[in-house]
Amino acid sequence: MHLTTMVLSSSLLTIFSILILPVLGTLNPSPPGSLWATNSVKTAVKVAFFVSLLPLFIFLNEGVEAIMTNWEWMNTLMFNINISFKFDLYSIVFTPVALYVTWSILEFASWYMHDDPNMNRFFKYLLIFLIAMIVLVTANNMFQLFIGWEGVGIMSFLLIGWWFGRADANTAALQAVVYNRVGDIGLILAMAWMAVNLNSWDMQQLFSMTTNQDMTLPLLGLVLAATGKSAQFGLHPWLPSAMEGPTPVSALLHSSTMVVAGIFLLIRLNPLMDNNPLVLSTCLCLGALTTVFTATCALTQNDIKKIIAFSTSSQLGLMMVTIGLNQPQLAFLHICTHAFFKAMLFLCSGSIIHSLNDEQDIRKMGGLHHLLPFTSSCLTIGSLALTGTPFLAGFFSKDAIIEALNTSYLNAWALVLTLVATSFTAVYSLRVVFFVSMGHPRFNPISPINENNLTVMNPIKRLAWGSILAGLLITANISPLKTPLMTMPFVLKMAALTVTIVGLLMALELASLASQQFKIKPASAPHHFSNMLGFYPSVVHRLAPKTNLVLGQLIANQTIDQTWLEKTGPKMTASVNLPLISSTSNLQQGVIKTYFLMFFFTMILAVLILVI
Amino acid sequence: MNPYVLSILLMGLGLGTTVTFASSHWLLAWMGLEMNTLAILPLMAQHHHPRAVEAATKYFLIQSAAAATILFASSTNAWLSGQWDIQHITHPLPTVMITIALSLKLGLAPLHAWLPEVVQGLDLTTGLVLSTWQKLAPFALLLQISPEIPLLITSLGLISMLAGGWGGLNHTQLRKVLAYSSVAHLGWMMVVMQFSTSLTALALLMYVIMTTSAFLTFKLLKSTDMNSLAMSWAKTPSVTALAPMMLLSLGGLPPLSGFLPKWLIIQELTKQELGLVATVAALSALLSLFFYLRVCYCLTFTSSPNNLAGVAPWRLESKQISLPLATSTSLSILLLPISPAILSLTLPLF
Repeated sequence: MHLTTMVLSSSLLTIFSILILPVLGTLNPSPPGSLWATNSVKTAVKVAFFVSLLPLFIFLNEGVEAIMTNWEWMNTLMFNINISFKFDLYSIVFTPVALYVTWSILEFASWYMHDDPNMNRFFKYLLIFLIAMIVLVTANNMFQLFIGWEGVGIMSFLLIGWWFGRADANTAALQAVVYNRVGDIGLILAMAWMAVNLNSWDMQQLFSMTTNQDMTLPLLGLVLAATGKSAQFGLHPWLPSAMEGPTPVSALLHSSTMVVAGIFLLIRLNPLMDNNPLVLSTCLCLGALTTVFTATCALTQNDIKKIIAFSTSSQLGLMMVTIGLNQPQLAFLHICTHAFFKAMLFLCSGSIIHSLNDEQDIRKMGGLHHLLPFTSSCLTIGSLALTGTPFLAGFFSKDAIIEALNTSYLNAWALVLTLVATSFTAVYSLRVVFFVSMGHPRFNPISPINENNLTVMNPIKRLAWGSILAGLLITANISPLKTPLMTMPFVLKMAALTVTIVGLLMALELASLASQQFKIKPASAPHHFSNMLGFYPSVVHRLAPKTNLVLGQLIANQTIDQTWLEKTGPKMTASVNLPLISSTSNLQQGVIKTYFLMFFFTMILAVLILVI
Repeated sequence: MNPYVLSILLMGLGLGTTVTFASSHWLLAWMGLEMNTLAILPLMAQHHHPRAVEAATKYFLIQSAAAATILFASSTNAWLSGQWDIQHITHPLPTVMITIALSLKLGLAPLHAWLPEVVQGLDLTTGLVLSTWQKLAPFALLLQISPEIPLLITSLGLISMLAGGWGGLNHTQLRKVLAYSSVAHLGWMMVVMQFSTSLTALALLMYVIMTTSAFLTFKLLKSTDMNSLAMSWAKTPSVTALAPMMLLSLGGLPPLSGFLPKWLIIQELTKQELGLVATVAALSALLSLFFYLRVCYCLTFTSSPNNLAGVAPWRLESKQISLPLATSTSLSILLLPISPAILSLTLPLF
């Protein structure tokens, strides 16, 4: 085999073995030592990251992509399922990004969770999650992708419910599972349709066979799957609730890697959607609605993690908009850059939370830029990258998306909503920075504020470098697959920046009014709408369970107990037969007249009917 | 009873049935039937207590009414067709009349009303004779006539099965329960008579075996109602163990031998495309099964260590010969595996 391909394939398989090795080590009956988490897991991820740079550089240098089919798993006469890895642009670039971010998060987690008695198990769960995620992105057939999909879903459930003694954490984990499951219906629908109609789950075969077919149904299924996994509007409440998990979980799963799995699925299967305007419009409008709705909700939240969660949700909506614009590569770019600064935002918030003795309410923080200078500056860097400040990481992806949106001939309403959401991004980012690091402290004087630990600072530092440089590095080295439109009117070119600056200025103005009573009574209706998350959870989380429970009671009580068992079943048998029994035996009273009468009448009747 | 009188009566009983079996002339058949009636009457009334006398009286009136109708119908047939041959009744009127009269003799519904009262008034031995021996002669005549009126036969059969099932459920006296069971079994025999007389004979044979076993069991246990069955586990544990099998065989439960006639009858009905009749027959078997189960329950499920269900009776040594009980019980439980042999017993009959 050609040397380059061999190096590529073997290094990628090496990554898998390096990551699986610590997990297999836990099968040992004797419990691992207290340093297992740091020494074994974090080191494995770090080494895997450096190994993954090799295929990345090979790809950047020579543009080599590879598909490896390793093992024929379930092969029948009709249908083949193999273990098959696809190393193309998306997986080769995503794997180092994910490993880099995971490395930093694991190092941070060894500080954040150091007094948790089950820290080893925590790291094991994170590692299993990472393996599942990499299986998902390198999958070459739908079956393997589904394995990774379900794997990340399960690990998300286990990790959100890490502090399972807390009822809120359990309900949040359950919410995550249920909403993801609803999305999984779409994925299974798409897989079943493909198995029945195309007789294959291999991506190459899918792309080649579907050029002339009507793929609306499976594509809508895939959009549903992305809605569930990537928290688009309709199946979104699980993402803010998932903040019940520890901060490393929020940083890894619910900002960088797991929630992008839905978008990644659509990116991978984008050739199927190329010619289907219905599905593309669905993605566009759904993404636009998501991004503006969640940005609105983020405006009035008071929990720092929830604000960052809603910003994640808003960025996911933006990625969905990009899919709707038929620009999968831009969406992928945004995934990669978003991973860096979002993870960093979460790590900074984790550092702040632990420093303030587990306080998460921003109304009880303040003035931290004097007390936690490094953390608050990284928070600021992350927020700037999020809002799309020119030439930071977020700018390259976000600005490109907004330019593509502005110059397309698609839905203007989606465009407007996206721009509104972009300005809201600036507003809530400023709100976070203002409440957390500016002003005077609003927390207890004796707080364990400490920035001296390298296990906290190094990860945040690394991610800060990533937030600054990643956009530049990736766009400089990856050539776009679709030609971007380079010429447009000046207003359109500056649109993203303009709305961001407008949002920033409005937010500054509102922030300065925060300590003054500008109006006699505040405008409570919009605030309530935003703070109660659009009342979506309040309505849906009561309506759906109540409907199902009422239905269950109807089935159990009225249908089974009262109808089948009483009216039409055993009791009916008894109640129908009893009168017949008593009348049959009470017919004769021992009087011989009865016997003769019956004889006589039977005779007459028989003779009359049968003879005459 | 005086042994000479007893032997004359028994021989008369036997002679009557034999004469009916052997006859091909209606008058001779009628004579055999009358001999049967007259011979059994003293046997019924031998205990001279009012209930037995009442039973004997009712039996006499019913049977003589039936025999008179048979005589009238055969005379009508002779007038209409000019011959007295049993197997050549052609005109439908005598056929119908004879069929109904024979149903009255047998105790088929809706002419069954006398049977429970009469059986209740007799002791268990005479009841056994009434239920088994007395059914043979009228059946011989019925099988020879083979009336070709499907509506009459099927409706007699179905009504008997249902009436036998429903009627038996409201009683605790064992003799009445057995009377209704005989009504139900006669219904099964009637239903298949128009298609396969050998199956009717098979059903009759199995019924005779099982009823013999039932009556002899109750005679051994000296119990005539369900309450007194409750202490049977203390009297004879082995009988208590086997009697439920015999009762369930009466109910037609596989793998006991009572299943054989029911199975073959349902198969025959299905082959003749009478699915609804077969279904109703099978469902009515459930009704009878319930009261057999109830008797089983009283026999066995109330055994120790449950609470005592009845008063402890005198347990005197039984002078009853055990061979008939043993034979009939064994036959009524174990015959299913050799069903082809049993079927071949009745096949050459008709």
